[in-house]
Amino acid sequence: MITRRGFVVGAAAAVAAPAVIARAADAPYALGTLYPMSGLNAEFGDMYAKATSLAVEHIAEEKLIRWPIEVRSQDSQATPQGGAVGMSRLVNVDQAPYVLLGFTGVSKAAAPIGERSKTVMVNGGGVGPDLANLSPYFWNVIPLANQEISALVPYLAAQRLLKVAVVFVDDPLGQGMLAELQKRLPTIGGEVVGSYSIPPTARQFGAIAARIRDVKADAVYFAITGGGLLMQLIKQMRDNGVDQPLITYSVGNLPSLASLPEANGLVFTGQSADWSSSYPATKRFVDGWRSKHGSDPTIYAQNYYNGTRLFALLVRELERTGAGVTGEALLEQRRRGGKFDFSGGEVSFDENGLITSRIQVSRFTSGRVEVLRAGDL
Amino acid sequence: MLVIQIIIAGLQTGLLYALMGAGFSLIFGATRVFHAAHGATFVVSGYAFVTCLKLGLPLWIGALAAMLFAVAFGLLLNALVYRPIQRDRGSFFTVFVAAFGSVIVVQSAMEFFFGREPQTVGSSMTRSVEVLPHLFVAPIFPIILVIAVISLGAVASFLRWTSVGLSLRALSDSPSLVEAFGLDPKKASNLAFGIGSALAAPPAILIAMTNGINPAAGAHVMLISLASTIVGGIGSLVGAVAGGILLGLAENGAIAVFDTQWSEAAGFVVLFAFIIIRPSGIFGARITR
Repeated sequence: MITRRGFVVGAAAAVAAPAVIARAADAPYALGTLYPMSGLNAEFGDMYAKATSLAVEHIAEEKLIRWPIEVRSQDSQATPQGGAVGMSRLVNVDQAPYVLLGFTGVSKAAAPIGERSKTVMVNGGGVGPDLANLSPYFWNVIPLANQEISALVPYLAAQRLLKVAVVFVDDPLGQGMLAELQKRLPTIGGEVVGSYSIPPTARQFGAIAARIRDVKADAVYFAITGGGLLMQLIKQMRDNGVDQPLITYSVGNLPSLASLPEANGLVFTGQSADWSSSYPATKRFVDGWRSKHGSDPTIYAQNYYNGTRLFALLVRELERTGAGVTGEALLEQRRRGGKFDFSGGEVSFDENGLITSRIQVSRFTSGRVEVLRAGDL
Repeated sequence: MLVIQIIIAGLQTGLLYALMGAGFSLIFGATRVFHAAHGATFVVSGYAFVTCLKLGLPLWIGALAAMLFAVAFGLLLNALVYRPIQRDRGSFFTVFVAAFGSVIVVQSAMEFFFGREPQTVGSSMTRSVEVLPHLFVAPIFPIILVIAVISLGAVASFLRWTSVGLSLRALSDSPSLVEAFGLDPKKASNLAFGIGSALAAPPAILIAMTNGINPAAGAHVMLISLASTIVGGIGSLVGAVAGGILLGLAENGAIAVFDTQWSEAAGFVVLFAFIIIRPSGIFGARITR
């Protein structure tokens, strides 16, 4: 039986509901970011955040979507623990349907939380090979390490750098890259002549340099997460008499490394980039970055710019169909296929949420990036 | 030759740890303040040095600035943070939390002013030369050795042979007795912070040159300082030096025997061994209950 009080409450709720719904619809879209904003890898977080901020600005200027994007940030500290805590907050407190994140360990810790809550996670910085199959909700806008090593191996063969010593952090990224090198080097008659795992907190590498000198490798490969650690390693290897070519993956493309004298000659792989391209999306990104930060962008910056842009491109389609912006809807929209207009060109995702990209082998020469070779994968 | 090379690397690391540990030990021994911000002093000093060199100033001015900033930071922290807490009878724990907070403030300030990326200065002194077949030594190694011996020798002599040094040692034993003899515990405490903080400058300079420095470096430095102090014996300057060298040798020596990833763990195995077998450390006094 409906009482008078129940009727009044019900009527009031019915009158208020459209206003509440309308208010919810007017609310900005929450975009989560899980970047390392403190600790040794904060340089990366800073760069990712700048790229996200630039993309949000451009999306608003282009009026790509109806409502503004509000960035909700958590500090991952580049650690799995920080990743799990930050992701839980973004999902439960901020209720972000789409989260940008980086670093292999962080991604692996955050992925189960994101999958449970049906939150899309987009990685633009971690390259551990097992990031390919973490979850349908986990996408990569960066080629993974196996693709980078595929591009590096022909270069090693051509340079006759067949005996490689590997210095790695014993985490999913380091283990994945070491396994990849152990698998691929024998195909060109090469081998991993020594592998040296280091704790991520280590600072003194003189004794490791002595052991590397002892195995007489043709080259030394670093599978290290984080530019700060890499910088210290490169400096101490050179200071301690390791004169062989030093090689790494896309982590090497950092401004702070380019200016390090000991990093002169460092060879690194990474996505192809042409900052002089006239492709409209690329030009807009590069011009925007240069005017804001006074330097050329990096590949990582482009990836996070694209990751943010991808959110807006998907939301735009959902707005057209009138569907709500949820993680599930975003995944469905991406699965409908088609190409996305990114800085760097149009891209499409495979069924695992991976993009395909050209990889280039580059080298620091007097503080500048010199492209040695590039190939399609 | 690999073993000799690793011993040299261990000694170089150990001497830097010894200097950091000695500063912390001196401050803690004299004032009983758990100066967790000793790592922040290291960071401030290192950034002062790097900034001077990046401005094109000569090395000696950079070294002087590093020393001045370290001392000033230590004294300011004592005057503005520790003393007010102690005046209000703040607990040991309150001082610890304040010190820990100072580390975070310094880290954030450095990130704000200098960016988050590591800073380093190039120098030919850090490039190793082959002194014997397969034996590489950097010119900076004998410099580290000389600086460590002079700094630690000067502090030890000061504490042993001067009346002010004597009052500093007395302060660690009994603050009330120091007052009874007409000495000023406040001045003695400032002296401990001044000298202890100055000892953070040489390792900050040398690490900025050999490894590079970043805003988050203080936490690791603090951990090493604390470990050296415990291994050497709390309150003992000689003990902190011995503890630092032992930790450096253990870290590097482990690389010759075990997998390279166990190097840092080896240092802490030494620490735990001392905590279990000889909690008073190498030179610490045993307390009978």
